[in-house]
Amino acid sequence: MGIDMSESGESAQNPGLEDRLARLEEIVAALESGELELDAALKLFEEGVVHLRETEALLASAELRVEELLNTAQGDETRDFGRGDGS
Amino acid sequence: MTPPSGPDEFLDLFDGQDAEDGHTVEGRDSADGPDPARTEELRPWSISELNARARTLLESGFESLWVVGEVTNWTRARSGHCYFTLKDDSAQLRCVMWRRDAARIPVDPEEGSRIRAFGSVTLYEARGDFQLAARELAAEGDEGLWKLAFEKLRRTLEAEGLLDPARRRPIPRFPGSVGVVTSPTGAAIRDVLRVVSRRAPWTRVVVAPARVQGEGASSEVADALDRLSGSGLCDVIIVGRGGGSIEDLWAFNEEPVARAIARSSVPVISAVGHETDTTIADLVADLRAATPSAAAEAAVPDREAVRELLARIEPRLSRGLRAGVDRQANRVRELRLRMVRGLERRVEPGRRTVDRAWERLPNAIRRTLAARRDRQGRLAGRLEGLSPLSTLSRGYAVAQDATGGVLRAVADFQVGQAFRLRVADGEVVAETTELKPGEGVTRPPPANETESTHGDRHE
Repeated sequence: MGIDMSESGESAQNPGLEDRLARLEEIVAALESGELELDAALKLFEEGVVHLRETEALLASAELRVEELLNTAQGDETRDFGRGDGS
Repeated sequence: MTPPSGPDEFLDLFDGQDAEDGHTVEGRDSADGPDPARTEELRPWSISELNARARTLLESGFESLWVVGEVTNWTRARSGHCYFTLKDDSAQLRCVMWRRDAARIPVDPEEGSRIRAFGSVTLYEARGDFQLAARELAAEGDEGLWKLAFEKLRRTLEAEGLLDPARRRPIPRFPGSVGVVTSPTGAAIRDVLRVVSRRAPWTRVVVAPARVQGEGASSEVADALDRLSGSGLCDVIIVGRGGGSIEDLWAFNEEPVARAIARSSVPVISAVGHETDTTIADLVADLRAATPSAAAEAAVPDREAVRELLARIEPRLSRGLRAGVDRQANRVRELRLRMVRGLERRVEPGRRTVDRAWERLPNAIRRTLAARRDRQGRLAGRLEGLSPLSTLSRGYAVAQDATGGVLRAVADFQVGQAFRLRVADGEVVAETTELKPGEGVTRPPPANETESTHGDRHE
């Protein structure tokens, strides 16, 4: 099996979304191969669940941030024009 | 000579007068001594006696008079005296005009022209010629002699283009120096000085004295004009004199003066004090003034007018200055506007790109996020199906030690040891009570373990 068992906690202390998704792909692929010892599978699975939860949180916050930014930016733009006309 | 009849006629004539006026006879007697004609009728007269007597009679017998006739044989002798004959259809009269009088006539009369001569009759004793001593001449009819001379010179100058109005130069508005050609003792110079000092006292007046009447006056005036013009001292020259008869003014109708005016390097104002007749000088001059005073007024500005002009110029200057500044300010404004517009044109494509980006960015980021979410969702679904614990729902259980390690074989257990049993819906904490190693089962499959633990649990 090519899966790196050590990666979960150590290499990236707070990995980003892409890293976590990539790791999830690895974990899923490894689990799907069915060649894992049970405890390894369990550990990977638990790591996968952590990644799922984290990615969910990251995605949710990213989506929120995007919407906030878009709203704010459009609002700022309008305000800028307003100031520009007034001065 | 027709001796008896001539003197007799005169004698008769004058005897008549004598009768009324004894004074004339007395005079004649005293002039000629004892009258031989009366005392000694038979004694012959000498020619001299007779001519002298005849002359006396003639001169005393006629008032000065005008005679009209046709001129013939006009000669001007080198002495300056002029001799000519007046005649009509049937008679002739010898005439003489002495130099002093002849110098004052403008032109010699043309042969055959009709003229009037003013003078007294006399007898030229040496030749016994009866003649008229003329003191004045005038052309008969409309065209006086002066007029003739005037016209002759005018035509000449006109043919040369010297009377062309286009030749007239403007009089400088603010001359620094005014030249005056006139008699130093006449009224003209006093008038000019008075007017200049009243109107423009800062102006310098340069006088070139010249005799303005009499023989040679015109060349003196011309010389003075040339001197002033050549000196470079003057911005304008006044030439003239006070009023007088046409003869007094005649120098200003003569060619030397006309030509000197025409060649002057500075503008010339003529001021011949004679309002009715125009002189040749007036025609050639750049400006004609009626009198020397008027000429001075034309030559220099009035100081009040100068003051007013300066007062008017000041606001115009500042207005002009302000207009200039305004023009520049407008230019700056316009340039700034054009610059801003140019900049806007340069910025516009970028602005459009930004606008388009603003339209595309939200979708892009949303698409990106959606892709990640899809991926994550798919991974979540797949992970879910792969849970190693999913078999537990089928009745299996996993024994794990405190650290989570899977307990697979009997050897992994010790009596009294606590372990956890993981089942489909949770965990069960258990304790090992007995170890029963299996018979044939050396490679324990998870099922065995599970069974054994299962069995334990049942105990």
